[in-house]
Amino acid sequence: MAANDRRTRPRIGSHAFLMLLLVAFLFPVAWALLSAFKPADDIVRSPLTFDFSAFTLDNYTAMFQDVPIGQGFVNTAVVLLFKGAATMFLAPLAAFAFAKYEWIGKNLVFGAVLITLMLPTIVLIIPLLLEMKELGWVNTYQALILPGAVDAFAIFWMRQVISAVPDELMDAARVDGCGEFAIFWRVVVPVIRPGLAGLGVLTVMNIYNDFVWPVVAASTERMATLQVVLSTLAQNITGNRIGADYAAVTGELLAASSVALVPLLVLFILLQRHFINGILAGSVKG
Amino acid sequence: MTAVVHPPAARRAPRAGRAPRMRRRLAPYVFVLPFVAVFVAFSVYPLFFTARLSFTDWRGTGAATWVGWDNYTYLLTNPAFWSSLGNSAVLWLLIVPVQIVLGILVAVLLNNAKLRLRGLYRVAFIVPFVTPLVAVAQIWVVLFDQRYGAVNAFLGLFGLPDTGWLTTSAWAKPTLALLFLWKTTGFIVIILLSGLQSINGSIYEAADLDGASRARQLWSITVPLLRRTIGFAVVLQTLAVFQMFAEPFVVTQGGPYNSTTTAGYYLYNHITRADLGTGAANSFLLVVLVMALSLLFVRLLRAKD
Repeated sequence: MAANDRRTRPRIGSHAFLMLLLVAFLFPVAWALLSAFKPADDIVRSPLTFDFSAFTLDNYTAMFQDVPIGQGFVNTAVVLLFKGAATMFLAPLAAFAFAKYEWIGKNLVFGAVLITLMLPTIVLIIPLLLEMKELGWVNTYQALILPGAVDAFAIFWMRQVISAVPDELMDAARVDGCGEFAIFWRVVVPVIRPGLAGLGVLTVMNIYNDFVWPVVAASTERMATLQVVLSTLAQNITGNRIGADYAAVTGELLAASSVALVPLLVLFILLQRHFINGILAGSVKG
Repeated sequence: MTAVVHPPAARRAPRAGRAPRMRRRLAPYVFVLPFVAVFVAFSVYPLFFTARLSFTDWRGTGAATWVGWDNYTYLLTNPAFWSSLGNSAVLWLLIVPVQIVLGILVAVLLNNAKLRLRGLYRVAFIVPFVTPLVAVAQIWVVLFDQRYGAVNAFLGLFGLPDTGWLTTSAWAKPTLALLFLWKTTGFIVIILLSGLQSINGSIYEAADLDGASRARQLWSITVPLLRRTIGFAVVLQTLAVFQMFAEPFVVTQGGPYNSTTTAGYYLYNHITRADLGTGAANSFLLVVLVMALSLLFVRLLRAKD
């Protein structure tokens, strides 16, 4: 959508303000990515200077030796694939029913969806964990994938997007003899593609960054996702806060954080237009 | 939309038989079934379980005794519960007003098509939002370390003394609030941008003719027209701030001296002590509070009509 064209080119003050914010927003990530290449002692001794000639991969080699980060990536990838696919197909489908049909229990179920949105995530952790024990699913992929496989927020978001699709389009398809699922698949899905792209990026982000449930449900080394692997590293650093190891642990920590940051940053920079347009499509306006 | 289109019902009538209408009535049930199955099994059932739990003294094993409203009265008369709400309220004050003001300013600037580097700004501001919290929270711990952190090293250049950002109760909350602001402001900017784009530009032309200043236009036109979007953002962030858990969990473990024990983190404390009944009651008190706050904000922003 075109922005406001009537205004004059912003003055220098606006640019100074935006530039200042830009530096503040990029600094922590840039600092971590660069510092991870510094010799560990330098990170601690001179956190603000960067001697590019002294850059080394030592922190990375040490980190890959100490931390099962490869297995973490594999586990995260498995969860992403199955949970992501379930959300991307089932959430729009259910949201379609919420947005475009009348059915018994609709308001009740939607009310329940809204309530779970207001519920702190950790509220459900105890009963869910007990449920997993009952099912024998603790430390399995099922435990990581199935709870929350169709996120309540995704339903809320997609309902908003699909409500904006004109009913006339659907009625026209019905007249042409389209079945109800075909209407969803061939009429609604193509129209809401920007919203779907936004949901896609958001879903990948949520699953990739999810931490609280995985750390409770599947924390063994074999099942730990990337974020869980990262969080145990944090316990190392707090344990060694004053000792001589602080520098080495900090180096490894920054290396591990960088490795975890980069895939999402690349994905986001490649897809940023879809992502931003997707949020624009789904949020409340006016 | 006044094009000549036959009323859909009239056109459908002669062709549609009983079977398609039946299918149309049944379709939504089929569409929501997979979602409802997962939702009931892993959200509704645990929710009812928690509700029942909140009236017992269950500690994870053995038999549970029904204790009525005891858990609720215990919490409501417990200073630690109120101080966790107080901590969250302070964090809310440090975060939400700042974020909304900053968000509106940035969104208004970014909405100008003549702004140079607009694409760069948009991407840069949303970068923090896509970073994994655990990774960033640890970077925060390193950056704000009292002895070795980059923040104190930088301030030292100006002769400022080392500050215990994460180790003194005066600074721990602002440092945590800064992490939250840093991580989510870009998202709020995008949401506000979407609201701005639905404002008709001609209203500003009229204001220009009347000689209203830019600041005046921002306050008298943009903000009132953005009311619903601002309300959406405030509710979203209120939920997030009162549920905040992972940030204090990784960065401060609720300390120092419980100064960052947020409502969400306090709840987690019951869980680690296997005090499951109290934890469940605490969750529901939190839900009621968050719901009341959300309704209040929606009301306040609507009342200006």
